[in-house]
Amino acid sequence: MRAFSLLHPRLRRPWLALALTAGLGASLAPGVAAQAVRLTVRLAADSTSSGSRAPVVRSENLLSDGRWLSALRSGLPVRLHYRVEVWRSRGGWFDAFERQVEWDVVLRHEPLLDQYTVLTIFSGRVQERRYATLDALSAALAFAYQVSVRPAAIGRYYYTATMEISTLSDSDLDELQRFLEGDLGEVAQGEEGVGDALGRGATRFLLRLAGLPSLRLEVRSTTFAVR
Amino acid sequence: MRHLAGGLLLLLAMPPLLRAQDSVIVIDPDLPPGDSAVVRGGPPPDVVSELLAFYNDSATTRVQGDVSFPPGSEFSGRLAIFRGSLRLAGRVRGDIVVINATLYLLPGADVEGDVLVVGGRLIRSPGALHRGRERVQWDAVPVLRAPDGTLVLRERRRPLAELAAARTSFQTGRVRTELLLATGGTYNRVEGLPIVFGPTFELRPSSRTLARLDFRGILRTAGEGNRLSSNFGYGIRAELHFPSGGVAGRIYSEVAPFEDQPLSAAENGWSAFLLQRDFRDWFERRGGGGAAWVQPTRTLRVEVSVRRDHESSVRATDPWSLLRNSDRWRRNPLSDDGHYFTTGVQADLDTRNDREHSTTGWLLRARYEHSTSDDLAPLALPGAVRPPLTTGGGYAFDRLTLDLRRYSRLTPSLRVNARLRADGWIAGDRMPVQRRVSLGGPDLLPGYGFRAFTCAPRGFVDPSEPALCDRSIVAQLEVRTRLGLNLGYRLRDREGGRGGRFIGIEEADLVILGDAGKAWLAGDGPGQVPVNRIPSLNEWRTDVGVGLDAGAIGAYLAKSLSEDEPVRFVVRLQRRF
Repeated sequence: MRAFSLLHPRLRRPWLALALTAGLGASLAPGVAAQAVRLTVRLAADSTSSGSRAPVVRSENLLSDGRWLSALRSGLPVRLHYRVEVWRSRGGWFDAFERQVEWDVVLRHEPLLDQYTVLTIFSGRVQERRYATLDALSAALAFAYQVSVRPAAIGRYYYTATMEISTLSDSDLDELQRFLEGDLGEVAQGEEGVGDALGRGATRFLLRLAGLPSLRLEVRSTTFAVR
Repeated sequence: MRHLAGGLLLLLAMPPLLRAQDSVIVIDPDLPPGDSAVVRGGPPPDVVSELLAFYNDSATTRVQGDVSFPPGSEFSGRLAIFRGSLRLAGRVRGDIVVINATLYLLPGADVEGDVLVVGGRLIRSPGALHRGRERVQWDAVPVLRAPDGTLVLRERRRPLAELAAARTSFQTGRVRTELLLATGGTYNRVEGLPIVFGPTFELRPSSRTLARLDFRGILRTAGEGNRLSSNFGYGIRAELHFPSGGVAGRIYSEVAPFEDQPLSAAENGWSAFLLQRDFRDWFERRGGGGAAWVQPTRTLRVEVSVRRDHESSVRATDPWSLLRNSDRWRRNPLSDDGHYFTTGVQADLDTRNDREHSTTGWLLRARYEHSTSDDLAPLALPGAVRPPLTTGGGYAFDRLTLDLRRYSRLTPSLRVNARLRADGWIAGDRMPVQRRVSLGGPDLLPGYGFRAFTCAPRGFVDPSEPALCDRSIVAQLEVRTRLGLNLGYRLRDREGGRGGRFIGIEEADLVILGDAGKAWLAGDGPGQVPVNRIPSLNEWRTDVGVGLDAGAIGAYLAKSLSEDEPVRFVVRLQRRF
């Protein structure tokens, strides 16, 4: 029987594959070069007697990195996906993941009005706001988010906050909207949408490879104790 | 004050969801989910009316763009600016309205009068003096300048969902019509590239109720000889969605796959188009059916369905492929033709945080089907695979498919994903060929070749390599961590620095994977597994591998542990699961 996989029917030269992997490994870099964009997570003031603290997440200097503004002005929506995770610290063993909260902010530019639309999307709720100046948009994007995920059980905890910034295509935007609306239909049917089967994967691959900006930032808070 | 104004604006628009206090937005995950309706913020109508009246008043001095009042300058009267910035370092005696612009009160500025800033910020330097009322709202005003120089309101743009549709659509009354011309399904060796076209009509009586009627014609581009009933297929679907459920009816004439593995439809299409490798087998089905579902929560959906269709064999043709075009396509297996009446129950529990890049949550999909046929024309299969089937009526079988996935995080930087997939015959007569299963290939057991385990008995030769097993089960485990790769080139930015666009792949997941699975014939014969038993773990085939997954593309090396197979190199265009 002839065996084959997606691109190579059979790798008859395993050393070639190993060399390729080694080559990739050798080029591993410690991370993306430092960006002007910054993500911070701090602990809110100690407001409970147990010592439990809520995380406060803030992104800074988003628009000082010209890539996002350039993408917006090219008509591409930009998605900021925030995620906050609660971790319980267990010395000497894997820390325990407790829970997480995610929300999205989608930015668009409306060229006719020269305004920026900001959609804040969380748990089936969508808020739309518009800003006419970069000053106002920058200030709005620098709002801090205080997330109500304070742990109650006794222990030592910390938060991790992640922000993924990506440029969306139309189909991505459509899919995001359906997912945020909780539409399980297409997934439940196990089908891919018409026109998507060949197109969406290729679009994403090409968009990604073509250098449309994307960025992922992750930060960790200091540890606190719940008594 | 500036921050307070901005924060209060958010507070007004999102009461339970995001309560803003000062410049902090509160995210409360314990609130009940909303109804996805868009809440639009913005300046109150009376403020908009006030600023329009002020700006359009003939006694107002209007300016536009970037305007500066230098130190020592003096202005008296009503002053309005639309777009741009107003930098004041001189004296102004009178009210000021700033629309979608920024007001700078620079050192030396002396303003005596009310200030209204809407759609911009007021940035005050130390030493600036203002006597009068001050109102600032950051939200933009949806206004345009008319040819006569006055400002007029402009209607809001379409909401996100409408904006996202890349297809042509238009609205007639309350009915939205969408015209579609696209590739449908996937490139394959039976149809070539199916072209799908037709209109969709949508009626939204309320924000959470939707009626949709979808007409689709399917034009098959492959040549003659595929034994399809026609080179023109169709699908007509009517749906009614309620807030927590819905009903749908459908008639169709389409080409469907035997199995939904070893690759996704998109990957299989690319494989066929580029490399002349079609990993799926196909049959034609024509008929109709209906479904009703309930979705009591955002994450749970239960569906019952019924359909009756005629399923028939089709033949592979010779559609064009980019590479290896001179090779012969693998033959398409024959199916057990006949009319099938199928009832099904499906449950979906999906708590994943993201459908394509899940990092936490569960996915459980379970489907049970009962099928009957009264006019089955079965193929003759070896007796070791399937005893002769009942013909002339009374043929019936039950099938269960199960897909359970768990996405979890071991540490903030380490993710562990697991999957259990089972598919196969449960009871009744043995399944037709188009429902049978196999293992081996780039998805479920990448350390093995395509269809390495088909349950074909020794000496059985069929160039179409049909899947003949009754049942299959696979467990997959993978560990992922993020790596910075920087495989590519970063363009220089406008200032000549290396902060410009990156061409290539910046980051990827390092994936360490392991799989174990077994496909088998159920029964008491030699080499078969008793009907009431799942093969013990030492009978499963296993493999391990390592790969890099950049999201849109991933490359893996996998090696079987149970057999003497070569290391296999697999490229995927999406996550494994």
